[in-house]
Formats: sequence, structure tokens, C-alpha cells
Amino acid sequence: MSMQTGTIAKLLTQPTAGERARQRVNWTMRILVGVAAFLAILPLIALIAFVLLQSAPFLVPSFFFNNPLDTSPGILNAIVGSLQLTGLTVLISGPIGIAGGVYLSEFASPRVVAIGETAIDVMLGVPSIVAGVFAYLILVPVLGFSGWAAVAALSILTLPIMMRSTQEVLRLVPQAIREASLALGVPVWKTALFVSVRTALPGILTGVILAFSRALGETAPLLMTARGTNAENWLDFSTTMNAMPIVIYQYSAAADDLLIGQAWATALVLMAIALTINVLVRGRTVNSRTA
Amino acid sequence: MAGLELRRTGGLSADSLFRRITGTGLLVLGVALVGLIVAFVGYSNPLWAIQSPIDFLTSATWSTGTIDENGQVVDALYGALGALFGTAATSLIAVLFAAPIGILAAIYLVEFAPPRVSAPLTFIVELIAAIPSVVFGLWAAGDLSNRLRDTIEWWIASSFGRFIPFLSEDPESPAADSVFRAGFLLAIMILPMVVAVSREFIRSVPISLREGYIGMGATKWEVIRDVILPTARIGLIGGVLLALGRAIGETVAVTMVIGNAEGVPSSLFQPGQTVASKIASNIAEASGEIAIGSMAALGLSLFLLTTMISLAVRVLIRRFAFTGGRA
Repeated sequence: MSMQTGTIAKLLTQPTAGERARQRVNWTMRILVGVAAFLAILPLIALIAFVLLQSAPFLVPSFFFNNPLDTSPGILNAIVGSLQLTGLTVLISGPIGIAGGVYLSEFASPRVVAIGETAIDVMLGVPSIVAGVFAYLILVPVLGFSGWAAVAALSILTLPIMMRSTQEVLRLVPQAIREASLALGVPVWKTALFVSVRTALPGILTGVILAFSRALGETAPLLMTARGTNAENWLDFSTTMNAMPIVIYQYSAAADDLLIGQAWATALVLMAIALTINVLVRGRTVNSRTA
Repeated sequence: MAGLELRRTGGLSADSLFRRITGTGLLVLGVALVGLIVAFVGYSNPLWAIQSPIDFLTSATWSTGTIDENGQVVDALYGALGALFGTAATSLIAVLFAAPIGILAAIYLVEFAPPRVSAPLTFIVELIAAIPSVVFGLWAAGDLSNRLRDTIEWWIASSFGRFIPFLSEDPESPAADSVFRAGFLLAIMILPMVVAVSREFIRSVPISLREGYIGMGATKWEVIRDVILPTARIGLIGGVLLALGRAIGETVAVTMVIGNAEGVPSSLFQPGQTVASKIASNIAEASGEIAIGSMAALGLSLFLLTTMISLAVRVLIRRFAFTGGRA
């Protein structure tokens, strides 16, 4: 009896050859997925390190406060231009996108929701160059190479982003809050605005900021619309404007080492802005989620 | 989504006004979408007057023609086969690398990594998506491209190049740019998307399914192979498709490393072009409605490709929701 229990215990504790093989596969795969995760973050490290190394000699104060044709050239006009173009893009497409998201979440019939969501999906998939060509074909012949054409192209890209994010966060607002407000006799529009949108506001703003960050890095649509210039342009959207992505793209192809260095430095500035925005926004969202 | 349609008053009450204002937002998106389609179809129309869409898709000759003594353009032929080949090759290379690595990395993040490692790692991967594509292009043109040429590309060419003509390369003088390097850069750029989507779907596999299989004595990997991957399969395919769409449309980064050479390259390690890079490098010189039409036709083909992918993903993900993978 006791011998039998011993045998069974032995059978249970000592792995068979098959079990050992299964464990080996398990450990191999464990290492493999870990390596894959490491490979996934490797490019970010390599890229940041290389951009930092290449751009360091060019990051002098005058780089930020001078224009390309000054004696110690800088990218002030590109920084100014990028902020104006993306700023206006968000100012125009933000309210439209948020409104559309509110409509989809609060008012639309299931049919309209299905159509609207499909349209958003398609628009989210539109490559940035397609938006650029669209503005180039329709607006550039009328307005010329201009900030307006660039803003239109960028807005096509940011509009669906903000509409989607607004709708998604509004969906998370509990239906009971809306019902409570309506039961108190609050009109539907006030409920939508001061209960639903108010509750979801941090999430909606997150979407707006991420759309800003996306538009800031767009290059292809700007090349065929705002086109770039050496002049400093404040608020004149009817003519060409410079932007950081344009500078990077154009200088990178230059034969002049100084220009290539400036392309690296501009890339660092652009990347630093984009990463800072994302770290702040996502860091906040993560904190509020865990809190 | 469940609307606030408790009562719908007639006339222009504050409620219906608000409803209309917000509805206009959605309408603008719809108008933009229809406008895109109309513009690309309309502007590409002059091209179809001189050649058929079949020629556009099957010819590798891209010639703006010559002007004869009457001032007429003759012998113009706009064949996009080279660009279409480049788009297909780069985006498939991108998916070939990004899909397995991205899905495996997502598995690590969800199934193996302790929360202390998983949260920052996920965050870092998401940051890669925030880097502007022109910065990727600059990095690739200045550094990555040469590294790839001397490592992976050299290895593939010297191991398989002798048997497979598409993978051959002269080891003494490798080309300055290549389709393969553009594709590999795209793999890096779409990786965060594959990881993010895969992670969501792997996470949504119900814990009871895992526990059931573990209770039967399965190892962790067996749970992943037999339970998680099959359950999340449709979502994973959807994520890879989304990333494929992103790769197809990527422009500046590819333009900076692919070399922008006409025609179908003899090898993946030779310079080429994609539909997007062709638009970017040719549109400034395009004058006249036929040449502009050729650009619109390229834009239209990109739009149709990405739209088909978006719709396919939509159908897939809806099916996934119905089969109950997601809570």
C-alpha cells in the first residue's frame, strides 16, 4: 500500500521525457518573446542616440532664434510656421471633430452610427500624401502654395482622429449619469454638454493633443502645400510657410554638411516636442486610470 | 451610443439646434470623404482618355511623351507597375518582419512581463509611434540603411542571392538605396501599431479560458499556442492589416531611402519606388491635365488600397466582437 503511494508520488513529481520536452519548448518560447520585446524597443534607443549624437554640435541658442538666411542660420521661421500650421489645424478641425463625435455618441441612430463609424475608419486610413495631393489638386490652383492649403490637408488627417477619440471617451460615460440629469428636467443639449462632454473632457482633450502631435510631424502634405520658405511668416496663411518637417526633408538631401547637421538638429527639436507631448499626455492618462 | 431620444420636440428648440450643430461635424467628415473620391476620380479622368486603367496597372513604362510639330503630346504612357511593385514589396517586407516580432512582443507584454516591466515597456513602444516619419527617414538615410546593407541585406544576398534572382546583389558594390531597406524601415515604423493592437486583443481573451487549460496541465506556451492565439486570431490579423495600410501610405521616410528609380527593380536590393514616393517626387513637375491626371490616378490607387484595408479590418473586427473574444 505504502509502496504504491510512493510509486504514484514518484510518477507525479518526476517529469517524463515528454514533459521535459514541453518545458523546454516553454522556456525557449519564453526567451523568444522576451527577445522580440527587446527588438521592439531597440529602434527607439538607436534612433534617439544617433539623432542626439549627430545634432549636438548644432544645438546652439542662435539655432532657435535665427532664420535660415542669417549669418548663423537657425530654424526660427520653421518652428513658428509649424506651430501656426498645426495650431490652426487643431483650432479648425478640433471643434468640428468634437461636434461630430458628440453627435455620434449622443444623438445618432444606430444606422447613422454604422455609416459614420465606417466613414471615420476610412478617413483614418487615408495616407497623408493622399490628403496632400487632394489639397494640391483642389486648393493650390486657387490659393497658391499657402498655409491655408496646408491647414486644409492637415485637417483632413486630424478630423477623424478627434472624432473617433471623442466618440470613444463619450461611450465610457455611464448612461445612468445622463438619465439622472434628464430626470431632473435638464434639457437634452445641456445634458450632452455639461454632463456627458464635461465628464469626458479630459479624454477629449487628450485626443486633441494627440492629433496636434500627429499633425506636427506630417511632412508629405506640407511639401505640396505650404512648401517652405526662408522668410519668417507670422499669421499670413495666404502665402508659403516654413515648417520643421519641411526643413528636415529638404536639408537632408543637401550636399552641404552644415545643412545636413541642421536637419539633424531640427529632427531632434521636432522629436523632442512630439515625445514630450506624448509622455505628458499618456503619463497623465495612465495615472488617472490607476488612481 | 444609446441616444438621448426621450423626447424629440419639433421646431428649432435649443435641443434640436444643438443636435444640428453637432450633426454638422459628422457631415463635414462625410463631405470631405466624398470630396476626396470625387476629386481623385475627376482629376484622373483625363488620363483614362488616352490610356486604359489596364495599361496603368500593367505597364512598367512611365513616360510623359514628347511634343510633336503640332504641339501635341505623343507617345505618353503612364504605367505604374514599377511603383505598385515597390509598394507591394516594401509593405510586405514590412509586415514580414513586424508581424511576428510585434505579436511575440505583445505576448511577452501581456503574458510574461511582470507589471513593473510591462507598463514602461508598453509605454516605450507607444512612443515609437509618436516619432514623425521624416525623422525615421533621416535616421535611416544617415545610419540604419548602411547598417542593413552590411548585415541583413548582405547575409540574405550571399546566402540566397545565387538561387533566387530577386535576392541577388553584387557584394562588391551594393546599391546606395534599396527596396529592402525601405521595407525594413517601414517594419520598424509599423511595429508599434502591431504591438498595440495585438496587445489589446490578447488581453481580451477571457481569463477563464486560460485557467481551464492550465488546470489541465498545460504549460504557459501551450496556453498561448492553443488558446490565446486561436481566440485572438482575427484581431491579430486585423492589427497586421491595419499596419499594412499604414505601410502602404507611408511617404517621406520611404522616399528618403528607396532611391526613387523607375521601373520594376531586378532585385529587392536595388533602388525602386512606391506609389507614394512616386507622387512625392513627381508631382512638382507634373503640368498639363494628363500629367496631373497620372498623379491623381496614383493617389486614387493609394486611396482605394487603404480604403479596402480599412473596410476589411472593420468587417474582421466586427466578426471578432460577435464571436465573443471581447468582453
